[in-house]
Amino acid sequence: MSAVFKFEHWRESKPETTIAAAPAKALIQLERIRKTYDSGENAVEALRGIDLQIDRGVFGAIIGPSGSGKSTLMHILGCLDTPSEGRYWLDGEDVATLSGKALARIRNQKLGFVFQTFNLLPRATIWKNVELPLLYAGIDADERRERALKALDRVGLANRAKHRPNELSGGQRQRVAIARALVNNPSLILADEPTGNLDQKTGSDIIRLFEEVAAGGQTIILVTHDPGIARRTQRRIKIVDGLIVDGEDEE
Amino acid sequence: MLILEAIIDGVRDIKDHFGRTLLQLLGIILGAGSIVATFSLSVAGKEASMKFYRVSGGVERIWIGNRTPNNITQDAKALASKGLTYADALALREQGKELDLVSPVSQGGMTVRYGAIEKKRDVMGVTPAYSPISFFKVEHGRFITDTDLQNASRVVVLGTTRAAEFFGSDNPIGKTIFIDGAGYLVVGVMEEKWFSFDQRRNALRWMNRQMYMPITTMMTRRGEPLETGKISFMHARMKDVKRHKEAVDEIKSILRRQHGTNDFEVFSRVANLARNESEGKMYDVTFMICGMISLLVGGIVIMNIQLASFNERVREIGTRKAVGATPAQIFFQMLTESVLVSVFGGFIGIFVGKLFTDAIATLTRNPAAITPGTAMNALIFAAGTGLIFGMYPAIRASRLNPIEALRTE
Repeated sequence: MSAVFKFEHWRESKPETTIAAAPAKALIQLERIRKTYDSGENAVEALRGIDLQIDRGVFGAIIGPSGSGKSTLMHILGCLDTPSEGRYWLDGEDVATLSGKALARIRNQKLGFVFQTFNLLPRATIWKNVELPLLYAGIDADERRERALKALDRVGLANRAKHRPNELSGGQRQRVAIARALVNNPSLILADEPTGNLDQKTGSDIIRLFEEVAAGGQTIILVTHDPGIARRTQRRIKIVDGLIVDGEDEE
Repeated sequence: MLILEAIIDGVRDIKDHFGRTLLQLLGIILGAGSIVATFSLSVAGKEASMKFYRVSGGVERIWIGNRTPNNITQDAKALASKGLTYADALALREQGKELDLVSPVSQGGMTVRYGAIEKKRDVMGVTPAYSPISFFKVEHGRFITDTDLQNASRVVVLGTTRAAEFFGSDNPIGKTIFIDGAGYLVVGVMEEKWFSFDQRRNALRWMNRQMYMPITTMMTRRGEPLETGKISFMHARMKDVKRHKEAVDEIKSILRRQHGTNDFEVFSRVANLARNESEGKMYDVTFMICGMISLLVGGIVIMNIQLASFNERVREIGTRKAVGATPAQIFFQMLTESVLVSVFGGFIGIFVGKLFTDAIATLTRNPAAITPGTAMNALIFAAGTGLIFGMYPAIRASRLNPIEALRTE
């Protein structure tokens, strides 16, 4: 365990601090994040003022019941969506107000995703699947193949590189997804209910893989409703009703 | 993403979804096939037309005739004019520098009798030049000669229809046939002329029905002095097709000097050809529009199927966006697929077009030919259709919200 973990208390920040620049050491800094969905007169406030700071190398979990806003928070952290209000610094960059195209670039360079439903391209080999982010980054074919193979090797599936997803088990498919998330050397990996479609044992193996990857210094945030999963991470971020509660985290 | 990458991915995607691709292809194949067929038919039509001109007398031929007296504004000289005469033919032959042959013709209805068969038939009084100018040769015996002309001999040459009509299967040469009561020696029988646009009717059968005697004989029989003898029309042959305008102008000026007025008409076949070409172009445009409507339908089919497949692939597009594909990259990828399918369909369409063309050609007994130009056209149109009709689905794909896309079942 080479990573050094910082313990941070987070609370509602005071208005005066919003003008300050992001602290250099934190990978993620959220300030007064709000997200409102307008559906006619029934506006839904999914996030009602989030302040959050996450350092590099943290292996954490965002945990909350359904409807708590954890998915929304993940979407914003993952630059898939922008907040209605507030600031978000990712790796020193202000990303809260970026355009769709710019967000796509950020996702390509700095983020990796792992989904509950794996979301692999069904008719491409797993090798091509893992290459996908590099394809959009404009990396040339040889380098792509090499890096993708290395990523597959890291998750133990290099020997099946030319197989298609439908020839693999659920657990193996999720491993491929993790390899894809790693291939572009992201600053942050986000996993949304990564064990939701897996049985107990396989799910546990996947979490162990996350632990190994995190041990190498990779920042990983899981989003889950399962306390058992959350307990295996080093830091729990609890969200209820659009707000973060319970500032304590345990190692 | 390089174009090559996009193409390779596109090809793989087409293979993966071949059923859907096939439907898209159908539209384009029929569209491209139509274009190939319609263009081929029009090209072939032009070629048949050219061939007809060559077989029936060449493009160097000019027809000169009397102007029909329908003109309200004719002047006194024109009203008093007697029309074209043998002297005019001689003038053209002497003075026409652009011309190498002049063939005056005097036509008349006469009673023809041989044995028990007696009919009223048109007989043409001609000069030896008639045969070369009309691309019409004797098969048996000989044509009218200069000697016949000088002596106003009573000789006659028959077309095959006339020969058969009066002599059946017997050889008419050497026999005497009676025209308006006087006996004429049959000295020749013409070749049989045949040309058909539709493999059924002979467009040149009128030539086989003719009978020829020396023009001098005809005028003598009518009691007309040669110089002022009326002729029905003239043919002239120009030396150089490229100078057809000069030839026509020369004829007009010589005749104007002879007559003192414009009481004649000059038709150059070349000019006719040009007019036919512009008519032909009208057909071409019509055909082309038909072909393009077919292609339009093909394009709409492509667009609809792209949209349908797009719905299937929403999840996949969401994933691609999540790993960082920009809207532009998604747009480019979808459009490339669309164009690829169209080009592929275009290729197949060319072959289908050949089948169409052959089928239509057989049914309508018209000739048809596919040129590389037509195939290229079809391909370009097909690619263009794919490009235009693939745009809308590609734009929609590029604008998908990744979060909603990923939520799709």
